[in-house]
Amino acid sequence: MAALVRAGFLSAKNTVLSTTVRCLSTTKPLRLKEIKEQREGTTLVVEAVTAASPRSELLVRAEKIKDLVPIVTEASAKPCYMCALGLDVKHTDVLILSQFVRTDGCMLPRRITGLCRRQQKKIGKMVSMAQKAGLMINLTPAACKKDPTRRREHKKFNTYFDENTIFMKKIPKPVDRFKR
Amino acid sequence: MSAAKRVQQWATFARTWHVFDCKWQDPYESANIIKKYLMGLHKPIYHPLNDCGDVVVCINSRNIALRGDDWRQRAYFHHTGYPGGASWTLAWELHNKDPTLIIKKAVYRAMKGNLQRRHTMERLFIYPGEHIPAEVQQNVSNQIRQIRRVPERLDHIPEEEVKNFPKVMDYPENYILK
Ligand SMILES: [Zn+2]
Repeated sequence: MAALVRAGFLSAKNTVLSTTVRCLSTTKPLRLKEIKEQREGTTLVVEAVTAASPRSELLVRAEKIKDLVPIVTEASAKPCYMCALGLDVKHTDVLILSQFVRTDGCMLPRRITGLCRRQQKKIGKMVSMAQKAGLMINLTPAACKKDPTRRREHKKFNTYFDENTIFMKKIPKPVDRFKR
Repeated sequence: MSAAKRVQQWATFARTWHVFDCKWQDPYESANIIKKYLMGLHKPIYHPLNDCGDVVVCINSRNIALRGDDWRQRAYFHHTGYPGGASWTLAWELHNKDPTLIIKKAVYRAMKGNLQRRHTMERLFIYPGEHIPAEVQQNVSNQIRQIRRVPERLDHIPEEEVKNFPKVMDYPENYILK
């Protein structure tokens, strides 16, 4: 009886709280704007300061590398930062690919990543390859089957991908390499 | 014959036992490598009539990796010999039944179909896990290099290393992190 009363009380409290209390946050560890309070004499100054991105000092850019041979493009258009670096990224390079995704493993759109069309497509495909191979299972929605060994049927075994298939219009059927 | 020459003679004709770790390896690509060691093609004394093949022990055959959609696109054919006795088993179904069969069939098919093939196959040992029987393990003296690097999972990399890894992408100015 006591438990029932307590449960009823809790649910009533929850409904009251959820309707009346708004979730307001002043600081969040990774928001790029943070609120600073400063006391000058008797007045309290509250201001929002643009916080530096946590990645800025680790950033690698082609302009900063001295002995990098710049990629020659026939058009005068400036290559995007990924093209300029000329990295050979594979789908197993999860340390690089995880920079382009949200915390739920979803690829960021092009207006945020700032990539060119081709690189956005390439990176996006490689992110999904890494997710299918189960290499970034800590960056997944909460409800999905994270561990590949707990997936069903053909999805539970190890799979690797060929990056050359990314820009193929149609992936050719697997050839029998041992056929005589 | 001097002692050194005698030892050289032994070493030339002795069977070496190689171990191959199949973890995250493509069975069809590694079959071409395993075949060379099984038949003795890597030796300068090789001749088809000269029984100079080595023994290969494959471990972790449960953790092989197929490319792309191969787990559900590759079918293994079997016919019982009776009418209507044909059956097609997909690669993932076969791997569920016996995790050593895919690598075994791949090595078998990689070799030329002659009378020697079945005898050469006798020298191939496949184990689904890490564990090898002690009488096999005591003979192993060489390791075959893997073709593909075993990929590292992001959640197995220490958090400090992920944080301090050089970054390529930076967020735009008014982006709110989620
Ligand atoms: Zn580009």
